[in-house]
Amino acid sequence: MTVEIPVEKWSGKVIEVALGATAEEGGTRTHAVTVGGQTTLPFLHFEGAIPYPPRIAIEISDQRPGDWSPLLLEAWGDVVKDPAAWAKAAEEAGAELILLQLSLTKDGDTPVTVADAQAVTRQVLDATGLPLIVFGPGQVDADNELLVAVAEEASGERLLLGICEEKNYRTIVAAALAHNHLVTARTAMDVNLAKQLNILISDMGLPLNRIVMDPTSAALGYGMEYGYSVMERLRIAALQGDKMTQLPMLVTVGYEAWRQKESKVGVGVPEAWGEWEERAILWETLTTTTLIESGADIVIMRHPEAVRRARVFIDRLMGK
Amino acid sequence: MSRYIATRAIRGSNALVAEAEALLKQAVEEKGADTPVAFPNTAYFLPVTFGMLAHEVNTLGDLEFSLAHAKKLLHPLPEDNLWVPYLGETLDSGMATLLAAEAIEGVRFAYGEEPTLYPGLELAGSTSYPQLNGTGHLNGPIDDIQLRSWGIQLVDGRMPGFAALVGAAHSNEAAVAIVRELQRRNILTFLCGNTNGRSVIDQLHEEGVEMGYDTYIVPFGTDTISAIYPLGFATRSALTFGGLKAGQWRDILIYNKFRVFAFVLALGEVDDLKYAAAAGAISYGFPTIADTVIPEILPTGVTRYEHVISMPWNEIEAETEEERAAKMVQRAIEVRGVKVKITEVPVPVAYGSAFEGEVVRRADMRAEFGGKNSRAFEYLLMAPMDEVEDGKIELIGPGLDTLDEGGSMDLALVVEVAGRKMQEDFEPVLERQFHYFINGASGIQHIGQRDITWIRISKAAAEKGFDLKHFGDILYARFHADFGAIVDKLQIKIITDPDLHAEWLAKAREAYDFRNRRLADLTDDAVDTFYSCILCQSFAPTHVCVVSPQRLGLCGAYNWLDCKASYEINPTGPNQPIQKGQCLDDDKGYFAGVNEYAKMASQGTVEEVTMYSIMENPMTACGCFECIVMVIPEANGVMVVSREDPSMTPAGMTFSTLAGIAGGGLQTPGIMGVGKFYLTSPKFVSADGGFKRIVWMSSFLKETMAEEFKQVAEREGDPDLIAKIADETICTDVEGLLAYLESVGHPALTMDMMF
Ligand code: SF4
Repeated sequence: MTVEIPVEKWSGKVIEVALGATAEEGGTRTHAVTVGGQTTLPFLHFEGAIPYPPRIAIEISDQRPGDWSPLLLEAWGDVVKDPAAWAKAAEEAGAELILLQLSLTKDGDTPVTVADAQAVTRQVLDATGLPLIVFGPGQVDADNELLVAVAEEASGERLLLGICEEKNYRTIVAAALAHNHLVTARTAMDVNLAKQLNILISDMGLPLNRIVMDPTSAALGYGMEYGYSVMERLRIAALQGDKMTQLPMLVTVGYEAWRQKESKVGVGVPEAWGEWEERAILWETLTTTTLIESGADIVIMRHPEAVRRARVFIDRLMGK
Repeated sequence: MSRYIATRAIRGSNALVAEAEALLKQAVEEKGADTPVAFPNTAYFLPVTFGMLAHEVNTLGDLEFSLAHAKKLLHPLPEDNLWVPYLGETLDSGMATLLAAEAIEGVRFAYGEEPTLYPGLELAGSTSYPQLNGTGHLNGPIDDIQLRSWGIQLVDGRMPGFAALVGAAHSNEAAVAIVRELQRRNILTFLCGNTNGRSVIDQLHEEGVEMGYDTYIVPFGTDTISAIYPLGFATRSALTFGGLKAGQWRDILIYNKFRVFAFVLALGEVDDLKYAAAAGAISYGFPTIADTVIPEILPTGVTRYEHVISMPWNEIEAETEEERAAKMVQRAIEVRGVKVKITEVPVPVAYGSAFEGEVVRRADMRAEFGGKNSRAFEYLLMAPMDEVEDGKIELIGPGLDTLDEGGSMDLALVVEVAGRKMQEDFEPVLERQFHYFINGASGIQHIGQRDITWIRISKAAAEKGFDLKHFGDILYARFHADFGAIVDKLQIKIITDPDLHAEWLAKAREAYDFRNRRLADLTDDAVDTFYSCILCQSFAPTHVCVVSPQRLGLCGAYNWLDCKASYEINPTGPNQPIQKGQCLDDDKGYFAGVNEYAKMASQGTVEEVTMYSIMENPMTACGCFECIVMVIPEANGVMVVSREDPSMTPAGMTFSTLAGIAGGGLQTPGIMGVGKFYLTSPKFVSADGGFKRIVWMSSFLKETMAEEFKQVAEREGDPDLIAKIADETICTDVEGLLAYLESVGHPALTMDMMF
């Protein structure tokens, strides 16, 4: 018996967004990385086009991250003290994009200054040719101050700047407009909120092909299915032709997976949980692969081994 | 369009274009066509010319093209005996003026005559001219670095806009007062031009006002021609932040009209050239406010609101120059539509939604207003723009200090609101906010609304200095912050004076009464727009509430007026207008527009929806419903269970079990979630027989809505109807229900069969 595979005819298409600018485009990246362009649900190659694979970004930090699991710090070794070296190591570990996370303070409690933020951005840009994502520390005033400076320092590089949220997006968007960058728009697991923020940002004049949305993800066991469902709905709405949902999606899986007990805690947990490091890597890998299945276009990861495994998974799904 | 203004603007532009041509000709002869022309530190060539014509000016020779184009835009003076609308000609002349002015500045740069020298002036930050060392000169054009840095603030809203002051103020004192007023509001101040040889720049310099980038005051030049620099700044903003390309002139102007909140203050006598330049500014959507008598251009069109306003300085009613300046700037802001932003509520106690639920006990009470011993009421009304002085808060009558500890007093909170988008219909929507706003103050308790308002101030709050006036501060700050989209100005009267209190109470009651009647008249048939609410899609992804005048949202929190106001405030928010479109079935309430919207917003899950039927394509429910309505087939009617009722029902399920069936954004014929006030609507399941179908209802509803239901019963022509409806104290099963209905002769038993 032959099984006939039902094929859906979607009218919509995910917008193609290119991160990073090469010398020709006014930047210094060795190549740009494009995401989006799908005309079907994830990996239904028989149904529509999936021109680009999901992209793996590796997260690095401007300071040695004080709150990271010792497993992660061990995996990366000494480079965590040197953002430039770390960026190189991340590239070697298979990153297609680098996320540079800015901190609020350095050496305990002196605030990170505009000059610090510009310097570290420059170092990372010099160290790698990959397109760069830069996130502010996550505190409104600091985000605005530092990201405006970073935008200026890297003018024309088509950085992806984050994080725009409903309560604070105008300054970051204005900086992106002024210096030819992109922004990421984060909302809390809600289709309509995501749409609304996309509308608000594009109302400021930033073209949709310079916005990536972050619908907020959660880790395996911590509400991932809710995030999954929101992403799936966003993607279905996009394919149905709803313009304001047709943006590629980014998820911070590394952050989510590594703040949970299963990956953070090595002692005093049930034996059945198994070996700590393997468990933690699995946690990040599974969170990543699952959210990729729901439509994630950019996954921001932390552990090199999880990255390697996710890469194998992506290659297989892309038919390589 | 005023013919007077048209004539003078056209005359001014003709003269300036001729002057530019002569200058250019001479310059080319003297220095050669290849001589470089550039504004320093900018990548936009001569920006207005570049934006308008996509023409890159690099040399004197390149300017010939600009002026040739300017000439094409010139018009002859209007004839004395011919009256036509001159707006088009005037705007063309404005454009010609800008091209000519920019060309002249270009030539001056070629000669090294720009920036204008100004001995003795130290700028606090300016465009840098290496040969001048930053002293003894005016700024000339703003450089690209400053453009980006201010541009970001203009785009993200930290800076509301910019004001171009052209000419000289009435006096030095007036000049300083105007500039201080602008600074206070964070508005960028650009200075240019002169009146009879005196410039506002001279005035400020004499008064020792520090100018430069750092103080947000930029002196461009002492002639009107330098007014081209602010417009160049505006053009570059559109190119930088609007993603526009040179030559997209129309889009550049539209960008400025909607996004750059700038205006021109014409100080002193307005000559031909100033009229011509003002005409250029109008094209950008920037209105002109003059401090002398000139003809006004009030009708809107190119600018958002009025085009030209005259506010003769001496006629502004005020005691001091500062007050005059404040009034003039305030007026300019209104005309341009700049919004005031207030982020903090200035009261001496903690403020935030966390305090909303606070109770002030009698023992802890400093004073109370309303309740048993006095009368308090609140009244918000719309007033004409010119009758409201923004931020005016008056306490009329004795203050808190005249009251004994624990005492009580009559109080009125009267708020007059003006706004270009304000509507009378929004009065009750805004008035209802008093409750939340006032309750946000720690140590203050607010209950009720209208003339049953009851407010208590705690001893702790009074000790911290909370006074009656602070009610005004709270309302002022919150209305601007939360409802800025519809509220432009508000003034507040806090009345304790007995006579005035009585007078306003009478007015307020008249208004309450009027609003009640208005609500009664507001029927589904009388409007052509319903509103959606999709707030609950966060947890019920396919659910859409369609809110009509006669059917409020099922949570009870959003009626049609609320949705309408919410849409004005937040046009991209969860409440969107739905054009009813063609009525497909009057009885059941099928509307083409509603179907279309429901299908779109439910991602195709709901194809059709009725407004007035429970049996056919009923509206979906999320889970927030105040009541559940469900058909009891045996009784040929419906039961209504309220959220407050934990008991068993004749359907064999309690509210919580029923909720699982009714919710989730699915259409289930025979069961529906509703807001309790929908029960009293003449459109309540009207396709299925209406209110008379109710055979059973939670006693909680019967008690809490006794008044309303009494009226419904009368409307239905059966005054005893409510008593005929069973409740959980009478029966909780079908057998008991049928027996009861028989015994009282409930009308449902003899109505058409529901199935
Ligand atoms: S239940 Fe209320 S809040 Fe929810 S969608 Fe309906 S009207 Fe909006």
